[in-house]
Amino acid sequence: MHWDEAAVTRWLEPLAARPGELADVFGERLREVSLDWRDGQIHEVRVRREDGVGARWRYQAEERLAFVAGTGEASVREAVRALRSAAGREPLPIRAPRTSAADDEDASLEAERWTRRLTGVFGRHAPRHRFLWRSIETERRVVAAGVPAATSRRRLVSLEGRFTAASRHGDEERTIAFHAPDADATPDELRAALTAAAAPRDRPVDVEAGDTDVVLGGGCAVVLFHEILGHALEADASASPLSALKDARVAVAELDVTDDARRLDLFGGYERDDEGTAPRPVKLLHSGHLGARLTDRAHARPGGSTGHGRRAGPAEAPMPRCSNVVVPAGAATSDEIARRVNDGLWIEEFRGGSVELSNGTFRLRFPRARRLRRGRFTEEIGPGVLAGEILAALKNVEPVLGRESRTCRSLGWCARDGQLVPVQGAAPDVLIRHLAVRPAL
Amino acid sequence: MTKDAGEDAAPERELPGRLERRAPGQWELYRKTGESWELSASPGFARTAWRREEGWAARWWDRGGPRFAAASSAEALRAALEDGARYAVADEPPPEWPTRVVAAPPAPAIEPPPALFAELARAVAASSRGECTLVRLTLRRGTTRERIENGAGLDVALARAACDGVATAVGRRGGRAREVRVAFQAADPPPIDPLARRLCDAAVLPLEEPAAPPARGQWLLDPAVGAALLAGLAPVFTSERPPVWIARGSLASPEVSIADDASGDSPFDGEGVASRRVLLVDEGRLAAGLYDLRTARRTGRASTGHGVRPSFRSPPGARPRRLFFETSSPRPAAELLASVTRGLYASALTAPVRVDLAEDRFEVEFTGVSVIAGRARGPIPGARASGRISELLHRVRALSGDVQFFPMPFAAGAPTILVERANFD
Repeated sequence: MHWDEAAVTRWLEPLAARPGELADVFGERLREVSLDWRDGQIHEVRVRREDGVGARWRYQAEERLAFVAGTGEASVREAVRALRSAAGREPLPIRAPRTSAADDEDASLEAERWTRRLTGVFGRHAPRHRFLWRSIETERRVVAAGVPAATSRRRLVSLEGRFTAASRHGDEERTIAFHAPDADATPDELRAALTAAAAPRDRPVDVEAGDTDVVLGGGCAVVLFHEILGHALEADASASPLSALKDARVAVAELDVTDDARRLDLFGGYERDDEGTAPRPVKLLHSGHLGARLTDRAHARPGGSTGHGRRAGPAEAPMPRCSNVVVPAGAATSDEIARRVNDGLWIEEFRGGSVELSNGTFRLRFPRARRLRRGRFTEEIGPGVLAGEILAALKNVEPVLGRESRTCRSLGWCARDGQLVPVQGAAPDVLIRHLAVRPAL
Repeated sequence: MTKDAGEDAAPERELPGRLERRAPGQWELYRKTGESWELSASPGFARTAWRREEGWAARWWDRGGPRFAAASSAEALRAALEDGARYAVADEPPPEWPTRVVAAPPAPAIEPPPALFAELARAVAASSRGECTLVRLTLRRGTTRERIENGAGLDVALARAACDGVATAVGRRGGRAREVRVAFQAADPPPIDPLARRLCDAAVLPLEEPAAPPARGQWLLDPAVGAALLAGLAPVFTSERPPVWIARGSLASPEVSIADDASGDSPFDGEGVASRRVLLVDEGRLAAGLYDLRTARRTGRASTGHGVRPSFRSPPGARPRRLFFETSSPRPAAELLASVTRGLYASALTAPVRVDLAEDRFEVEFTGVSVIAGRARGPIPGARASGRISELLHRVRALSGDVQFFPMPFAAGAPTILVERANFD
């Protein structure tokens, strides 16, 4: 994306002449390779190269967006011209596009290197499978009136699908979801995740409906806090039950929850948000007290945006969105936490979750769990749905947290209003009393 | 391929030749251009978005199996073809490519959609006696132009216009609240009153005092609920091997027929195969399936014209296009209600329908009213029907004739459906 930043800033100036007006140009180059793996062979290759530019103007209760395919200077010019025309400003004159320097096309995505690794990993740990492996590389650039320009790059890998695992009652089909930034340690992490997912298990029995105590292990407490704190504290969540409770004590003093987009080792991390702001960690829960909201530039408090203005792509306007939910570890071992449960569940994975802010309820879908009786693990159960109310669930978190914060690699994408952004987090084991559970498909 | 003003002609002219050299006769090139206006309004805020999109996609069989590349320009697609050629792919025979030539008129010009938020908000408030509030309305109008070529000589083009949207409303009563989202794909502009009624039904009924539903009884499904259930069953018609629980082809009661017919929407599918009506379930018996070029080749059949491209970013796959229930003996919806001796009327879903086709299980969470002796007796804010799909479909006793279509995201249509017996909790 070789733009003349000074020229683009000049084009945006008439759109940001009044105090409070926001105007920016966002460009994205996306390179993606998807491989459809079946039983050790690639059955289909999909490659995607997509470039686009979105120009946005926002003032008070009005926002306008113009999107054009391509990331050349001609595309930027066309997007800004459409935006200026829509906002009733003097249109940008039409000029012949200048030839820009060739963009780097070294976007092999390391996919070939991964292909060799995956052949070995799948062969050893899950020889019968149907997986979709994806490598996604994005380069994003923001030029905004009155704000320094910013460029950021991310390379993410995802593995999702089904495989056949040997179980104590015969072969069993299981699912796996693994999302991580592409780093040196990622193949080892993936190998460990597959090994754990393929471990022998007992035949699950049906979930009994009712109230139960639940330990969220394996880092999956991230999914709960993402739903009930992350979404509830996004600055545009006007219907949130937490809106009127600023600084209120809603949980035990031992519980801190932070949204930290700077954690680049997590799937939802970034160095600059999609408005060009460097993110800062936001305490959603501070010693049990409700913390600050996640803001973008349009919803910023006097201190400025927290760096959570995120877009699904250049064709969409930014929204305040959560990123990585991080819960610091406590001091208890897993055994110590289990011993506190007389009759309950130990859950290590969720397949999805949702929150309804208008009535303050959430539900999380788990594929399986282990029953705890008098502090001991007994039978496998599942699948089921865990449900509750946001404030009640926070109040019922026990003041004992596991001493290891684990990354929840099964959480990778969050959809809101049809817009998908990468998210993740890390959390220790968390014990919550009195959640509703029921069986599910 | 057609050329837009200001576009570099060289890469797009070169693409068919490049594909032919790479995979002689075994390639397909797709191009889509589109322009849309979207108006999203909520109390005190309005967003207008204009988008001019361009998408290119190629699929080819080269050294083994299929490869697919998508890009936002012809030049980027050329580079993506090189990327896609790097991997070893397992063998899969190429499909029997269709051949024909159809030109398309230019895409019509579009205007921004009308501002309907205030009108719909008034209708929602009136329909719910103030208990339901419209919180957001997003309306989108767009035109697209698509063109498909392949190595067998196909060259077809299509231009179309569409209007769709999403409305979000919140029902409130006392300390209880319920938020609902309704997606619609309708006439332009969309009819206000039916949309307001759908929003109110879905948002207000769950606010009623909790009432235990009967453990079992008859089950009357509103068209919106029936369409969602049908969409959940759709993979039965696209899978190459139907589930084992479909005993000897019997899928449903003799009252039930299911067809797919998108010929009124588009003359061909995403692979250039002519659209046609396919009767999938004929008076309860599984009669046919839906095939795209690849699944047709694998199963030794002909494509039924159901190669669907959800976007230029993904390769075409076998999916329904306009799937709907029909019956040879429709009855008025009022008559179906009158015939309920004891049961529930499901007026709206409160969670997505869940279907496990391999295990023959379904789960539908809904809100509605209890019905005794043909009369509505009281609201049921939340109930769940679950059990075996095979039993549910064989217990369909009657269908009305008023089929309504809903975006699921493909068009799924259902009338009011009466199920003889269902289990609730």
